[in-house]
Amino acid sequence: MTKILITAALLTASFGAAHAQSASYAIDPTHTFASFEIVHFGTSTIRGRFDKKEGSVTIDRAAKTGKAEITIDMASINTGVAPFDGHLKSADLFDVAKFPTAKFVGDKFSFSGDKVTEVAGTLTLMGKTQPVTLKATNFSCYVNPMLKREVCGGDFETTLQRSAFGITYALPMAAPDSVRMLVQVEAVKQ
Amino acid sequence: MKSIARHGVAAPPARSARPCRLGLAALAAPWVFAGAAPAVAQPQTYQLDPAHSWVHFEVLHFGTSTIRGRIGPVKGSVRLEPSVGRGEVSLAVPTASVSTGIGFFDARLRQADLLASDEHPEAYFVATRFSFEGERVVSVRGEFTWRGASQPLTLNALRYACRSDTTAAKPVQVCGGDFEGELLRSDFGATFGLPFVANRVRLLVQVEGRR
Repeated sequence: MTKILITAALLTASFGAAHAQSASYAIDPTHTFASFEIVHFGTSTIRGRFDKKEGSVTIDRAAKTGKAEITIDMASINTGVAPFDGHLKSADLFDVAKFPTAKFVGDKFSFSGDKVTEVAGTLTLMGKTQPVTLKATNFSCYVNPMLKREVCGGDFETTLQRSAFGITYALPMAAPDSVRMLVQVEAVKQ
Repeated sequence: MKSIARHGVAAPPARSARPCRLGLAALAAPWVFAGAAPAVAQPQTYQLDPAHSWVHFEVLHFGTSTIRGRIGPVKGSVRLEPSVGRGEVSLAVPTASVSTGIGFFDARLRQADLLASDEHPEAYFVATRFSFEGERVVSVRGEFTWRGASQPLTLNALRYACRSDTTAAKPVQVCGGDFEGELLRSDFGATFGLPFVANRVRLLVQVEGRR
């Protein structure tokens, strides 16, 4: 149950020699996290993260295309304050009983050289799908000496308006509409 | 002999408690005489709110992505006297509480060559050099002690505000903010994983104090 699934990506068969550089990557769950930051009463920043996720990424650095799919287990929210996590999971906020997962699908990759600079797509949260663009603040690929495989990854961020997903609890005093999302991702070449 | 010695050790704190009581009486004075004389600013002591006092760290992994972790809640208190530009803070950070979202990674971090949580269960930040802009704290310079090594550390405020929490039975004054600092872990002897996991560690400290 607590097993983190690593879903290997699709393709290979339909793409042939013409897309030799297209490669699929499986998310490394130990280096892939979605974290959020929201300001508390205009005073300090509450930080939290989602601990369980699965997903896959395909990148073709020659064709400068890609696709990313990441599913987040909303019940895995973790702020370090258990009663707060409980409230976040309740019907007031993320209503995880009704909406157990959130999903990001990124299908418009922007590159600078062979580095990903931006991934645009949609985020489905609380049953609502909205356009989202993740901007890269870091991106690189390296050969992991332990796995002896290529790993690509980076840091991405975006700012969401939580009301767009129907999450209006405690607006605007206790917590504003803007939520900064920080996404760490590393994925291992398959 | 031993009990006398112990008594001897216990005596100074008992004596030093007297100025404390005087301090409290002095604190009450502005309220009592508020109508008669201009209020004399007094230092205010805030206890850290464990629900909103955490250290988050960020460190770059293989030059590629940022590992984030959380330690806390941070325990301690802050004494502020903005009118004279003075402040004092003493914080303890329970390193075994580290949480990255990956259990085995947390266990690895607690080992002797990283957080050394068995030998040094707490890291400390102690500072007396506060900079203010008006009532707002803008930076705090002090000393960070981790793994038994002490190094200077400056925390700069990214945001800072005070408010009255009226949800409590008695209104509570809350001051807090976000502070940012940076250290080189090798300065504290935590060299495991260098250079694949960077030496530079960014600290993001959320803190709210209540009085």
